[in-house]
Amino acid sequence: MIHYFKNIFETVTTLLQGLGITFVHLLRIRKNNVTLQYPEERWPQPQRNIGFEHNSYNVIRSRLEVDIEDCTGCMQCVRACPVDCIKIDTVKVPKDTDIGTTSNDTKKRLLVTRFDIDMSECCFCNLCTYPCPEDCIYMTGGPNSKKHPIDYEYSTYDRSDLIFRFANVTEEQIERITKPAQPGEQTNNG
Amino acid sequence: MGVRQTEEMVLNIGPQHPSTHGVLRLKVKTDGEIVTAVTPVIGYLHRCFEKHCENITYEQIIPYVDRCDYIASMNNDFGYVLAMEAMLEIEVPEKVQYIRIIMAEMNRIASHLLALGTFGLDVGAFTPFLYMFRDRERILDLFELTCGARLLYNYMWIGGLSHDIPPGFVEKTYEFLDYFLPQLDEYNNLLTFNKIFIERTADVGILTPDLAINYGVTGPNLRGSGVKWDLRKDESYSIYDRFDFAIPVGTGIKGSVGDSWDRYWVRAEEMRESVKIIRQALDQMPRDGDVREAVPRRIRPPKGAIYSRSETPRGELGFYIISDGKPKPTRVKMRSPAFTALSVLSEISQGWMISDVLAILGSLDIVLGEIDR
Repeated sequence: MIHYFKNIFETVTTLLQGLGITFVHLLRIRKNNVTLQYPEERWPQPQRNIGFEHNSYNVIRSRLEVDIEDCTGCMQCVRACPVDCIKIDTVKVPKDTDIGTTSNDTKKRLLVTRFDIDMSECCFCNLCTYPCPEDCIYMTGGPNSKKHPIDYEYSTYDRSDLIFRFANVTEEQIERITKPAQPGEQTNNG
Repeated sequence: MGVRQTEEMVLNIGPQHPSTHGVLRLKVKTDGEIVTAVTPVIGYLHRCFEKHCENITYEQIIPYVDRCDYIASMNNDFGYVLAMEAMLEIEVPEKVQYIRIIMAEMNRIASHLLALGTFGLDVGAFTPFLYMFRDRERILDLFELTCGARLLYNYMWIGGLSHDIPPGFVEKTYEFLDYFLPQLDEYNNLLTFNKIFIERTADVGILTPDLAINYGVTGPNLRGSGVKWDLRKDESYSIYDRFDFAIPVGTGIKGSVGDSWDRYWVRAEEMRESVKIIRQALDQMPRDGDVREAVPRRIRPPKGAIYSRSETPRGELGFYIISDGKPKPTRVKMRSPAFTALSVLSEISQGWMISDVLAILGSLDIVLGEIDR
């Protein structure tokens, strides 16, 4: 009998204890509020401009972006990707043809005809961004916000819209660049 | 009136069920409300982890290891990089060791918070779940600050870390620890010592020490049965021997040793110990140093095999890696602690009610990503 009442007493006291905690939180609702009305309000992006030698460390996971003008087609990112979501096609350009240099003053020897990243396959491991010798593949925002503003809300209605195509050469350009110049004809490089 | 014979009924719980912590199907044979047999059906989350590892390089395995136990990715990474470093005989810089310990222990707290919160949710307590997730969020914010990801970090690399901790991280972590310790008492008042919760969990699903050892159960589940076995202390890896912390074991305060409440209590106390470890590590950590100093340019381990184990929030995580001198492993075998914890479920849940089976399952704290791999 005593046990029965003791049980009830313990239940009521511990319940009240728990309710007390929630009640305190209810009273200080403004201070303890931790949620945001998402589409209207957003959490601030953490300041992550870190790194010991260079400050372009890629410490954000948002969307992969490629500065195609800087890409030399070295395929390092393709080799690093564990899920093979980066697809690059290159063509060799003739020796005397100049297709420009990157911003690091590396001469480009390959013409990148296709640079597709399927973001629906991407596992956001960031492994592709580290080996890039030209720092031209990176996640948007964070320390790279100068290069590209953050873009993490890229939901689409169609899966194929998640394949981002970065190569910007047309068929004509490829043909013009790769075709060896005919004798007597004027060469047009570029 | 004679004894009324009732027919046995097979009840399916899952695969899509909030109490099964993932996609787990339980075939429960019931006699009335009493459970006579439980058969877990696994494999819904199978992703061919071990076979897949044979086709990718050693660095590329780390994102996949992350995805095994997705609640405690840092600890999984830690286990894998320890195995690889032992194989390659890499000496890791001091600072890296400390950062790894801090990250692993923070992830342990985050994992236990999720385990305890969802355990409360399984037995019908909704509020503690929200409180614990609120605090877990703070840890995830710290991780996001460090490596950009809130889950699946790919932060620990073989021989180092992907990059240094950001400025202000140490102060923010201290701030979090100061905030977090009083919260532990709040959880205790809210859930742990709640009479209804004790009635639901104490004396339910008793896992005796013998049974636990026979099944190979490790981690908090084993310690809840009163066996003092923690790899961080007993087979001290990395620099765990430099820290002063206790190993909480179940003593049967509210029921008998090895019941669901004991398993809960061990986790709750372990968070307190983790806070201690993080505080010591932050105090002792050298402030400067290159974290990528020892990262090898090409990873090509010599011919041979290695087995290395470490203590994750779920228990003993082992990696058996065979190399034949190529950049890709020949075989990677993962010894998953959650798998053994699940295998003991059918043994300890016989004779309990259906709702108790879910309480026992919640107390075992399984992660299906690790079981199915």
